[in-house]
Amino acid sequence: MVVPDTAQDTSKDWVELNIGPQHPSTHGVLRLKVKLDGEIVKDVEPIIGYLHRNAEKLCEMDYYCDALVYFDRMDYVGAMNMELGYLEAAEKLLGIPPPERAQWIRVVMAELSRIASHLVWAGAFGLDLGMLTPFFYCFIEREKVLRIFTAVSGSRQQTNYMSIGGVYQDIDDQIIYDIEQFTEEFPKKLEEIFNTFVKNDIFISRNKGIGILEPEVAIQYGVTGPMLRASGIEYDVRKAEPYLVYDKINFDIPVSYKKDNLARFLVRFEEMRQSVKIIKQAIKKIPDGPYFNPKAKKSLMIRLRGEGEVYARTESSKGEFGVYLVGDGGVKPYRVHVRSPALKNLSVLPVLAKDVMIADLFAISGTIDLVFGEVDR
Amino acid sequence: MNVLQRLQAFFAILGHYPSYILAYFFETLFMIIFVTVMLIVMIYLFRKYMARVQLRIGPNRVGKFGSLQLIADALKLVGKESILPRKRDDLPYRVAPIVVFLGLIMAFAIIPYGDFYYIGSLTVTHSNVSLLLLFAAIAIMPIGEVLAGVSSNNKYAVIGALRGVAKDISFEVPMMMSVLALVMMASARTSEPLNLTNLISVQSIPYGIPQIIGLGVFFIAMVARASYSPFDMSESDSELVSGHSIEYSGMRFGMFYMGMFGSIFLGSMIVSLLYLGGYNGPFSGDAGFIYLLIKAMILVIISFTIWLSVPRIRIDKFVNMGWKYLLPAAVINLVIAGILTLGLSL
Repeated sequence: MVVPDTAQDTSKDWVELNIGPQHPSTHGVLRLKVKLDGEIVKDVEPIIGYLHRNAEKLCEMDYYCDALVYFDRMDYVGAMNMELGYLEAAEKLLGIPPPERAQWIRVVMAELSRIASHLVWAGAFGLDLGMLTPFFYCFIEREKVLRIFTAVSGSRQQTNYMSIGGVYQDIDDQIIYDIEQFTEEFPKKLEEIFNTFVKNDIFISRNKGIGILEPEVAIQYGVTGPMLRASGIEYDVRKAEPYLVYDKINFDIPVSYKKDNLARFLVRFEEMRQSVKIIKQAIKKIPDGPYFNPKAKKSLMIRLRGEGEVYARTESSKGEFGVYLVGDGGVKPYRVHVRSPALKNLSVLPVLAKDVMIADLFAISGTIDLVFGEVDR
Repeated sequence: MNVLQRLQAFFAILGHYPSYILAYFFETLFMIIFVTVMLIVMIYLFRKYMARVQLRIGPNRVGKFGSLQLIADALKLVGKESILPRKRDDLPYRVAPIVVFLGLIMAFAIIPYGDFYYIGSLTVTHSNVSLLLLFAAIAIMPIGEVLAGVSSNNKYAVIGALRGVAKDISFEVPMMMSVLALVMMASARTSEPLNLTNLISVQSIPYGIPQIIGLGVFFIAMVARASYSPFDMSESDSELVSGHSIEYSGMRFGMFYMGMFGSIFLGSMIVSLLYLGGYNGPFSGDAGFIYLLIKAMILVIISFTIWLSVPRIRIDKFVNMGWKYLLPAAVINLVIAGILTLGLSL
């Protein structure tokens, strides 16, 4: 019998286990250095950077309008929200507000994108716990969203749909009909998916009371988004500092005071229901008019100049997505910095996963909703 | 007249011992072919059923309805290079998959299959204590898994093996307790209750009806033995990648894979033999084998449904369940069986 190398050193009473970057449940390329005492996780150290693509610096080397593609590739499962985050900052810096119609279209797309992102999360979370089937149910629904994205932008994931001063192209009646159809059918399907999870005693027992995140700790670590709201703090940028036309829409922020894995699960599902509610309202209110600001028409786009510094924040599916832009009066931004919510949420993992079992470590890291394009950038 | 006797009669010209040796050899070969064919059918069925459950299509490229997909997969596995970890413990590493597969085949050799028209029964071993032999053969399989876990020099594999041992201990005691209840009930009717053939033939009503608790305990134990979801802690994909079989590739991995599906089939066969009347049924004179297969396949489909619909349970909760719920349930079942045997002489 070959004893593992680390066990030969009798001075240590723990075993170091390296998980990832290639591992089925690290959601991409997360690497975890885990100190194990039997089945108990004594300490966990997340190591990131395996998907670092230098996106911020690349943005600084391109025109304002071109930086959008790098944002598409940050949170690639919910790309519309990333575009929105960048454009909120860029439009403020360049002084090109989008027209009314574009704002409503953006709200619809951002919420569709949030649904798509949460569906991926739900499916992957099921896989983390060993449920094979809900993954496919989630992806079938997500596919319907992606079809809408294909119709509006020509692309499934990296949509590149929104552009400075509006959107890339107008939506027609067919697309509006498709979206309405989707909002009619989706809630029923969502309840089906929801029930496959919560009507299962094993699922509840794997999540209830596991991975408790105290609200004070969450604030200290800068945790935002559904994770923060599951810890009982009602903070959502859409309400706290409304952007676009979110202040004209009636919706609720789901909050849970249970603080555990199950709370995060329930909050995300409730967010999807709220997103449907938002889309239903917004799709009816899309006004007529231009869909882009004529100051940013295509021939003028690369000549846009901005000066000063702005910080804009939006609520992406992961949490508060902030973009910091500095312009020096040239056609290219001087500095681009991104506040990535998934990175901040990941940083709290060592606190959550202290003295839990290995199986719970993956359940907890599953509820963080990591997308490594965004964490590493 | 079963297959073994027919074969022996065929080879009788060679003398007493050679004819028996040859008869056993060919009988075992037939049984292995039967098991392998059943496994291929089962894996195909599983993939199609899984695809149906998950709203997919499943294999449909190789052969009609993808029916040759499994043969293509098996050929691919055989042709693949078997990558060996450098710091392995060589002998146990090579022996482990064989041990798992051998335990499975031995268990199948002991099961009584019932008659099948002119061919007769496929059973290889005719023993007076075949029930004990059967569970002894099943108990060989975990040894292979533990060997694989500790010899491949991988921490995931070691954790998987540790979990496997914890799991095996906690379900095997209740499993044997529930089997004891069966023997108790059968002993009222026959002098050789440890003989599987006798145990089945005395089931005037299937034992699953008076021993519904025992059936539950035994079925859970069989799920744990085959280690699929919810009890796949020892080879959980999302945590330990694939547990004890992580360092295996090629046909060695294929043997673990076959061992897993074989355990599902074996478990279904044993449950239907011990609790659901086995090859007994209306007009089962010559077609007992078909009854057994139908019962086993229904259980296999139930197993697949469980596999596809529930998440994995945590190892400490499983151990808890084994000692705190399954074992008392098995004891209660034993008491009920005793009362039924004495009072009603079922």
